[in-house]
Amino acid sequence: MLLGVDVGGTFTDAVLVDGHGTVHTAKVPSTPAEESVGVLDAIRLVLQRAAAQAGEVRHFGHGMTVATNALLEGHAARTALMATEGFTDVIELGRQGRADLYRLCLASPEPLVPAELRFAVPERMAPEGPLRALEPRAARELVEDLGRARPQAVAVSLLHSYAHPAHERELGALLAEMLPGTHVSLSTDLVGTFREYERTATTVLDAALSPLLGSYLSQLSHDARELGLPEPQIMQSSGGLTEAARAGAHAALTVLSGPAGGVGGALLLARLAQEPDVLCFDMGGTSCDVCLIEGDRVTETAERVIAGRPLSLPALDIHTVGAGGGSIAWRDAGGALRVGPASAGAVPGPACYGRGGTEPTVTDANLLLGRLLEDSALAGNLQLDRAAAERAVAGLARELGLETIACAEGIVRVAEAEMLAALRVMTVERGIDPRGFAMMPFGGAGPLHAAALAREMGITRVLCPRASGVLCALGLAAAAPRRDVARTVMLRGPELSSEALERERSALLAEARGALAGGAERVRVRHELRYAGQSFELPVEEEAHSAAGGSEPSGAAESAWLDPQGLREVFSQAHEQRYGYRDDSAEVELVTMRASAWGAAPALARPAGAGSAGAPSPTEPAKEVREIVFDGSALPALVARGEPAPGSTIVGPALWALPEATLLVPPGWHGAVDDHGTIHLRLELEGD
Amino acid sequence: MLDPIELQVLTGSLRASAQEMGVVLIRSAHSSNIKERRDASTALFDADGQMVMQAEHIPVHLGAMPAAVAAVLGEQHRPGVSWILNDPFAGGTHLPDITVVTPVFTSAGELIGFAASRAHHADVGGRVPGSMPADSRTLAEEGVVISPRPLDERTLEELVARMRQPAERRADLRAQLAANRTGALRLCELAERLGPERLREGTDAVLDYSELRTRACLAALPDGTREAEDVLEAPEGDLALRLRATVRGEQLTLDFQGSAPQHGGNLNCPLAVTRSACLFAVRVLTDPDIPPTAGAYRPIELRVPLGSVLNARPGAAVAAGNVESSSRVADLVLSAFGCAQGQGTMNNLTLGSQSFSYYETLGGGQAACADADGPSGVHVAMSNTLNTPIEALEREFPLRVLEYSLRRGSGGAGAHSGGEGVVRELQALAEMTFSLIGERRRHAPRGAAGAGPGARGRDLLDGVQLPGKCTGTLAEGQRLRIETPGGGGFGHA
Repeated sequence: MLLGVDVGGTFTDAVLVDGHGTVHTAKVPSTPAEESVGVLDAIRLVLQRAAAQAGEVRHFGHGMTVATNALLEGHAARTALMATEGFTDVIELGRQGRADLYRLCLASPEPLVPAELRFAVPERMAPEGPLRALEPRAARELVEDLGRARPQAVAVSLLHSYAHPAHERELGALLAEMLPGTHVSLSTDLVGTFREYERTATTVLDAALSPLLGSYLSQLSHDARELGLPEPQIMQSSGGLTEAARAGAHAALTVLSGPAGGVGGALLLARLAQEPDVLCFDMGGTSCDVCLIEGDRVTETAERVIAGRPLSLPALDIHTVGAGGGSIAWRDAGGALRVGPASAGAVPGPACYGRGGTEPTVTDANLLLGRLLEDSALAGNLQLDRAAAERAVAGLARELGLETIACAEGIVRVAEAEMLAALRVMTVERGIDPRGFAMMPFGGAGPLHAAALAREMGITRVLCPRASGVLCALGLAAAAPRRDVARTVMLRGPELSSEALERERSALLAEARGALAGGAERVRVRHELRYAGQSFELPVEEEAHSAAGGSEPSGAAESAWLDPQGLREVFSQAHEQRYGYRDDSAEVELVTMRASAWGAAPALARPAGAGSAGAPSPTEPAKEVREIVFDGSALPALVARGEPAPGSTIVGPALWALPEATLLVPPGWHGAVDDHGTIHLRLELEGD
Repeated sequence: MLDPIELQVLTGSLRASAQEMGVVLIRSAHSSNIKERRDASTALFDADGQMVMQAEHIPVHLGAMPAAVAAVLGEQHRPGVSWILNDPFAGGTHLPDITVVTPVFTSAGELIGFAASRAHHADVGGRVPGSMPADSRTLAEEGVVISPRPLDERTLEELVARMRQPAERRADLRAQLAANRTGALRLCELAERLGPERLREGTDAVLDYSELRTRACLAALPDGTREAEDVLEAPEGDLALRLRATVRGEQLTLDFQGSAPQHGGNLNCPLAVTRSACLFAVRVLTDPDIPPTAGAYRPIELRVPLGSVLNARPGAAVAAGNVESSSRVADLVLSAFGCAQGQGTMNNLTLGSQSFSYYETLGGGQAACADADGPSGVHVAMSNTLNTPIEALEREFPLRVLEYSLRRGSGGAGAHSGGEGVVRELQALAEMTFSLIGERRRHAPRGAAGAGPGARGRDLLDGVQLPGKCTGTLAEGQRLRIETPGGGGFGHA
């Protein structure tokens, strides 16, 4: 049996996939004060529902927000920084950009290390090697000084350490010897790439959050052992799992643990539906996350910003905007209808939650338009209060001089325009034409808006997963372990020889592979290249499957990695495709190499669907008719409820109240349920 | 008239289109100046040349784009024929900023607007690499002057041949054309969806809406006239700047009568630069959320005497006007309304030899606000470009960075303190020339409401102080240390 547990802001979800491929789920309130309480509640509940024993579970994937929340709420450990003398303020100077062009005193987030805990190391590496040696006695004295400041964690980041790590390693050894029990993060081990600010900031974040995450994970591992469960495997921002001990020692790896699980679930279902190109749209109460599956792979990034801080580690490329069901609608000084960024959040929530909210939200508008049922499971078995929603929207409508229903439709249109902007960032703004993609909505509110958004994007297919509300946990149950290693190598001209390339590549691959206990099933090398003199890199990726592993046809045999000439050619082609020209007279520089290794994903029995014994027999949805407003007119629409039975169909205008979400099927769309319970919607184009 | 929903949806569409133009430009440009520093802007205009939306990357382009479209508005336009210009006195700002304007036609052949993009090119064939000489005295020394002309293949080749790194220039100009094509496509899609008539009504409504919001902000300011004075630190002596800012109802008048006549150096501004700086300051003082359109600036009247340093006559050198005088104009407007002053300079440093050329600008102290300390070590006004990582710099150029730190104690004291300046010390590993253009070396950034000033900037060559604007040679091993100004504080300590 495979277990996945995801901790979200409001709910903790558990998914248990049994040997028949049946998916059992449980949803309990999250316990932010001590996340492990909610985790254990969810596990007990899902085991009980499946009538299973903990001992039957052979895989336990876990995604959580401990590190993220600590960062957002400022609960960092007391952290010291050791940086090259003359450069201890790099962590504060950043890239010298201001946080906002016009709000002049808007501050960037405070560095996680205050000035008095920044220690200047008397050493200096140049690009070629040591310029000023680190004297052992000076190093000891400095560590003694640092120890007197009683930090809980220490980050070490010295100039040019990506190429010359000796001084960082010496300090690491001294810290381990002289300050045992203090957490230490070395920039060369954690990040390994150039650009001192980003590397230092990532290392500091790692040090500052690891003590807290480490203690949470060791508690959870202990509890899991007590219950008879296997050791938890922790979701990293990269979408792969790692051991709890490593995650606890490097909190920076799991800052995007939560959303990464959902993307994993989406990828799983996209593969089952044989859709290689999918635009994922995850909308909850306060925000929506967009990411892209292209050619069966989730797009990744090695540089991103979390809460105003850079993170130079592999992460799934997820774009977030603050538009959700709880976003508040208002009239601005110029008389326009606006939605967000303010949100009613979970407390008090939308007016229709009846918890004291009085401002009109997107959820209130959907309820008035008939797109949400009063008894929908949206807010955890809450009866929605239509009168309260009407009062809130009517107030705004009066201000704007609109009819109440027109105002509600306007709120949805304006909110969708915000979401559309997020979808465009991930597609057209990156030179990707979305029209060949399918859209996959999830999260409580995603399926309500998916069809309208898809149509605006020129997308004619929507895949709505049956388990859209617990997709994260499903992704965790099915995720594979992954390890990443990176190194800035800066090879160009004659230095970029076959021998040098081979040497760097094998070293990185050996390190990544060796770190996976169960061996690697698939490896990938990402070469970040540029024309010499450019200040940005383009990645060229190569994949290989180890002999024992994959039957997938793609990827090179390991003996056939690109040589420097091949690398230059593939880079030039990529450059031409992306930027419209190639420059064969320019020198190509290999800046950074990143190796990734994946272990085997736990084998899922064929998930619930036709022919899988033990699956709950899905009930044919009861059908009723209600009025839903589209483009100003109330149309009679069919309402379906419950589990989508394979083979059943739906024709818009219609609404499907799924267990954890509501799917809106506007006029012109029709759909059918596949063997896995995923509802496939298609837009019938006029003239077809 | 549009309803409140249509209005917001159209505003959003225009914003997304201008934004997408910017993304295309940055993605397809070649030079790091555009790609990494994002020294570029894109905008959409209606058929009358009114700016209906701008994507904001860098404030110094804010008010200067409309001048470029105005410069070609009266021409005979044909589908597919774009225009190019950089003449500061005919639609441009300073020569490195090259603007490409593309007329947008419907498939029926109706002119419905313009797409425009502006980018700072790393060189435009001036006397020195980078085309930003510290000591130019005429416009011609600063590079190729392009009066508005149609941009065909032959023109493009002819122009880039007169600049350094022609391949890079060509790629960057093509990126600007690609950005404009994207803007044109999006505008056509809107026209198709709404109909050209309805689109016209819609963009008019967006302009009126922006105007309404600016007026609402101005109405909230007390009526009356405020004055401010400051100086530009020209090599030959200070140049006085004067401003009378008058709020009357929902209208703001900025009158620079009494400012110094244009000078023989390059601190002169064409009117478009002065306008940009004023609009930047107004945006700070009102609501940055107001869509950046021509409508937003209707309630603002500028009076700048022709022939003054802030409205120079054609032919004047202007290289430093765009980067330095513009900051001072923004300071004047903000000071008139009681704000403290930030570092007020970009601390421009150009290093080079036969084999390389390197340009950087340095952050410093931001002014404190009535409710917050000023941020430290940031670009404060008209620029917001990133620094070059030391680990990249030391690999590419014969330079070693000896120190990069906050200049502690340089921020002005007050109830809220000004931001700290920056210390940056570089060592030459080979002989090279340097060119330094900085302000606030003689006059400190002032505090407000009883607070203290920020520290003045200093520039030292092997410990010996240099003038704020100078050109010279660094021998191998010599050290150049730049200490950037702190920001003024706010309120009695």
